[in-house]
Amino acid sequence: MNIDQKRRIESVAALTLSTLAALAGMFWLVFILGDVLVRGIGALTPSLFLNDPTPPGVIGGGLRNAFIGQLMIIGSATLIGVPIGILGGTFLAEYARGTRLARSISILADIMVSVPAIVVGTFIYAILVKPVGHFNGWAGAAALAVIMIPVVLRTTEDMLSLVPWTLREAAFALGAPYYKVIIQVVYRGAATGILTGILLSIARVAGEAAPLLFTSFNNSFLSTDMRQPIASLTTTIFQYAMGPYEEWHIQAWGASFVITVFILLITIAGRLIIKWRYK
Amino acid sequence: MEVQIVADVIEIQAKALNFYYAGNVHSLKQVNVPAHKSAVTALIGPSGCGKTTLLRCFNRMHDLYPKNRYEGEIIFEGRNILSNDVDVIKLRSDIGMVFQKPTPFPMTIFDNIAYGLKLKGITKRSELSERVEKALKNAALWDEAKDKLNVSAYDLSGGQQQRLVIARALAVEPHVLLFDEPTSALDPISTGKIEELLVQLKNSVTIIIVTHNMQQAARISDWTGFMMLGELIEFDRTDKMFTAPSEKLTEDYITGRFG
Repeated sequence: MNIDQKRRIESVAALTLSTLAALAGMFWLVFILGDVLVRGIGALTPSLFLNDPTPPGVIGGGLRNAFIGQLMIIGSATLIGVPIGILGGTFLAEYARGTRLARSISILADIMVSVPAIVVGTFIYAILVKPVGHFNGWAGAAALAVIMIPVVLRTTEDMLSLVPWTLREAAFALGAPYYKVIIQVVYRGAATGILTGILLSIARVAGEAAPLLFTSFNNSFLSTDMRQPIASLTTTIFQYAMGPYEEWHIQAWGASFVITVFILLITIAGRLIIKWRYK
Repeated sequence: MEVQIVADVIEIQAKALNFYYAGNVHSLKQVNVPAHKSAVTALIGPSGCGKTTLLRCFNRMHDLYPKNRYEGEIIFEGRNILSNDVDVIKLRSDIGMVFQKPTPFPMTIFDNIAYGLKLKGITKRSELSERVEKALKNAALWDEAKDKLNVSAYDLSGGQQQRLVIARALAVEPHVLLFDEPTSALDPISTGKIEELLVQLKNSVTIIIVTHNMQQAARISDWTGFMMLGELIEFDRTDKMFTAPSEKLTEDYITGRFG
């Protein structure tokens, strides 16, 4: 066998193996998404969105409480996490640019991005649940915010760093103070990138159950009081999927479907914005 | 050569100016350069000679970076603008700057030009419109831009963007405009337009331009300073510099023996 044939065989082998690996990965992905889709779509009834849970065996129950709770927790987490992330990223990219402090914070944020969510949950439990004495919605929002902050912070920092330095100089040369340069020129230049970061950070936390189990817990009734335990889709999916009743399982599939589509849409929106920005 | 009616008045002048970049890199050495009112002053010299460094002293752009240090004086409107009590933000609205690459802001053409005006506290829509139009006319961009004032500035061509940036700088009615190789990123036709524009503008604003292109300096400037290794070798009227320079180094550079 000459060297040419040997290369050809190696090439075919590599191609086959990598294709198989890709297909194996895709298979499970399509399987999971397909399963959620097929089983979830059947569970989508008006009652799922409009009614609160009923005792097992009583038909016509829904998950209105969990939908509303989920939106409240994610909304609050966004309101807490996004400003902190953006301002922190601004500090790193603008005021502390190139300093050792900025580099250390960047690295810490990178580590924070991959800290297990359950660790964040127990941490918030210790500082916002234990002292209060009971689970509460704000603790859930805080836990998700803590997960969002490093994501938003790092994207903001990266996006601001991409804005050409001469653009800032041009604004300075017109007699603009630094805060106006940042707000009026640099943020505009980086707006789509930062927005993408925000969307992806929401997608990142929307599917989290572990940190919420330790913080906002769950609630079988409709509650909009963030100082009390509040329902969320992810914890409800956990509870219902583990429960013994068939109608719970069906509703859990429905909730899974909704949350998957929600994350999918946000991720697609984020990608579209990137594409639009760099076209 | 055109007759200068206005007596030579010096608008801004560097006196015994020394400049150190962070880490004490001595980049300007005892530089004396005047810029005459209603005239174009060109700074020429080989790469790394300090001409851009000098230009950026005039609006204290170096202040943006830590540990840069000036010594000596730059006299403008009767005072030394290098002193600590000078309001740099105000100074920069009197001494504008145009960069090598066009730097339109990510906003509409109108908002680009209104930006400096808004910084000055002008908010009335009618006054803004009036002054945006005037600035665009002064920068010879009005005819091309008047129908797309609300279009993103990025939709303009490179040459148009550079004229937009000049219009933006003109809008705040500065006394001095600094140009850092404003045509080096442009095609010959756009370059010609900008050169023409600079000659027109000098009647209303004092111009200092850094250029790599000696023909450009000869074409548009009234005064020329030749720099090398951080020192000013010679400063004189452009026609004299390019025909009968006093210094051997200047002659060698102009005739292309080095650089």
